[in-house]
Amino acid sequence: MKKELFANPDLCTGCNRCTLACSANKEGVFQPSKARMRVTNFPLRGFSVPNICFQCPKANCLEVCPTDAMFRGADGVVRLNRDLCSGCGACVTACPYGMVEQDAKGIPYKCDLCDGDPACAKECHSEALVHTTGDAALFQLKAAQMKTRHNSGTPLEKRHKVAEALKRNSRG
Amino acid sequence: MNLYMGKMLMVDLSAESVTTEPLRAEWLREYWGAWGLALRYYTDAVSPEIDPLAPENVVVIMTAPLCGTLVPLASRMCLVSKSPHTGTIFESNVGGSFGPELKYAGYDGIIIKGRASAPVFLKIDNDRVSLESAEHMTGQGIFETEKLMEAAIGAHGAKTLAIGPAAENMITYSMIGSESYRQFGRGGTGALFGSKNLKGIVCRGTGAVRVADMSRFLERTDHYTKNDLLCDDNLWAKTDGTPILVEVTNEMGIHPTRNYTKGFNGRKEQLNSDAIQAAKLGNRACASCPMACGKFTRVNSAEIEGPEYETLCLGGSNCDIHDLEAVIRFNRLCDDLGLDTMTCGSTISLAMEMTENGVHNFNLRFGQVDEYLKVVYEIATLSTERGRDLAKGAKHLAAKYGAEELSMEVKGLEMPAYEPRGNFGMGIAYATSERGACHLRAFPIFATDPHDIDALVSDVVDAQNANSIKWSLGFCDFWGTVNTSIEADLMSAGLGEAVSAEELDRAGERIWTLSRLFNLAAGFTAADDTLPKKIMERPLEGGRHEGRVFSRADLARAMQSYYELRDWSAKGIPSSRKLAALGLETTTL
Ligand code: SF4
Ligand code: SF4
Ligand code: SF4
Repeated sequence: MKKELFANPDLCTGCNRCTLACSANKEGVFQPSKARMRVTNFPLRGFSVPNICFQCPKANCLEVCPTDAMFRGADGVVRLNRDLCSGCGACVTACPYGMVEQDAKGIPYKCDLCDGDPACAKECHSEALVHTTGDAALFQLKAAQMKTRHNSGTPLEKRHKVAEALKRNSRG
Repeated sequence: MNLYMGKMLMVDLSAESVTTEPLRAEWLREYWGAWGLALRYYTDAVSPEIDPLAPENVVVIMTAPLCGTLVPLASRMCLVSKSPHTGTIFESNVGGSFGPELKYAGYDGIIIKGRASAPVFLKIDNDRVSLESAEHMTGQGIFETEKLMEAAIGAHGAKTLAIGPAAENMITYSMIGSESYRQFGRGGTGALFGSKNLKGIVCRGTGAVRVADMSRFLERTDHYTKNDLLCDDNLWAKTDGTPILVEVTNEMGIHPTRNYTKGFNGRKEQLNSDAIQAAKLGNRACASCPMACGKFTRVNSAEIEGPEYETLCLGGSNCDIHDLEAVIRFNRLCDDLGLDTMTCGSTISLAMEMTENGVHNFNLRFGQVDEYLKVVYEIATLSTERGRDLAKGAKHLAAKYGAEELSMEVKGLEMPAYEPRGNFGMGIAYATSERGACHLRAFPIFATDPHDIDALVSDVVDAQNANSIKWSLGFCDFWGTVNTSIEADLMSAGLGEAVSAEELDRAGERIWTLSRLFNLAAGFTAADDTLPKKIMERPLEGGRHEGRVFSRADLARAMQSYYELRDWSAKGIPSSRKLAALGLETTTL
């Protein structure tokens, strides 16, 4: 069975090793702001949410792309073909979880699951991020997270709203 | 630059100016970062006689070279200044994520001087840095201030340093809070901000920390994480965190109880690690830390990240309080109002003993929860007579009522939660620390023989030197097995230059010695390297070391041997030979 990336906010400690690993891997520097997954922290309430790309089966980012630059690979991962990208940013607006961003030149970037070997999950020592075939509980968790969709705002604002909703369920 | 950002932020509050300066590269290979580098900047900027709360005093906040990278437990940030509580040189460090964020914004550290004419906060949004009015935050607690500063930057997730009313009132044991439950805790760091009319700092950084060779750096980091950090000696931090020490210190008979009267608490079960686990909602970590020693707890409606061991003991057992909910409420009040839980707890327990002994009636009694919680607010706001009394801290409170024999501090800093009569090593560590009684300079509680003075002196000297460089590289106490070989290897991989363990060892001793030179110039003498009267005169009750004192004669012997080992004179002054060996012979203070 195919492995997927799952996030469990109740286990997340807010350490950001995942975003450090992702940026080291993808950018060659330590720069959490450029990581392809992010962590939203609520220190006062002792809660953190790993925001991840779900590689949605019905992916808004892919659907709105006017040039077919966003495509789904054979592995199911939603990817970008830079040669076809016009830099219009429609995918950034479309992702309801705030998981596509643009670099300084306007080229979008998003999680590519590290070609099946996620660096982020390997650095997560609390099992808040796991790369596995999944069980019923994990799929349920993912489904609940995917319901927290937001259509307006910057990626940061969307991630915060998604996280806020998950926090409310867990901490009140 | 690799590892460093190469830039310091210079804030002059009197002139309302913020500028940047290149990092002093010539100091890096001698002082490295955080504690050491901040100390070097500080001693360069002020003279040791300075009044800590005067506008001319300077506050140096410094990150460390490995901070903001994937190296675990290496992102602590230091604050160095002269303490308004002790009058000594003072280093305090904080975990969390402010340090990394400051580096991502492009700065290694911040140097603050002057005094603003009205309350301000410093806003750092990458290279856009400004001083903003904090009038609307005046009197607010730390939690609300953080919220307001985060809103001012307009982006969720900005990192903060903030003070509460206790610091605005310049209480000498007020602290600076970060991300709600982390602190530059001891020595009155908060009052330093308060005296400058600086309500806080908010920072957002989106830049990068670079290393010489990423794949080598990641390989070395992974190697030490797996083969050294995540091993049996350190894993208590992941499973239990500091509350594990409640059982450990009781078993050793060094658990301060009823203002350091007893070394054992018969009701420890209500405040031990099992009690914390039962109340736990989740684990919390500093940036880049896989241990997550922070335990987020809730009892009824009271929630907090913590309480940590020091608070469980000094705000719990030592006040004879055994109700976890009460200790959580005490801790949360301190964290929000901006008081150091250690000094606050210790001062309350002193007032309890003074009340029970009939020295003065503060209406505070051992084990009495209501008044214990009420007085915290009174201290922070100076709103009652007893609040104003307790706001002085243990030394001055005891002196006011002629009860010096009950005040449990060294050089004015209240003792941590390890009883020196049951472990002479802790006594030696307290007596010789540059900032007064402190457990973060040497921690010899696991010594084979807790009363073997010669062996303990040597353990303390080694630990002080090792910790001086460990804190300067931003490492957390809880990577207990890290050493200068590991540190040197990680630094070499990050910098792309060979760094040796020997030069780091020497830097540690250099930093320790420079602190000593500052204190000597500030007027401290060997006579200040001492212990509280109660420890030297009154036999310990209860526990394994029942009946013990750490006598004046034993202490004198320990100090003599300590000075000799350090190559300091009988008066505790470093020899010129030692200064030359450390490259300090021309450093003027
Ligand atoms: S980027 Fe957003 S829309 Fe696209 S697959 Fe990922 S989560 Fe779904
Ligand atoms: S799977 Fe890879 S690309 Fe995606 S967030 Fe994790 S580390 Fe980044
Ligand atoms: S590494 Fe795991 S625990 Fe740490 S922030 Fe990321 S998801 Fe959370």
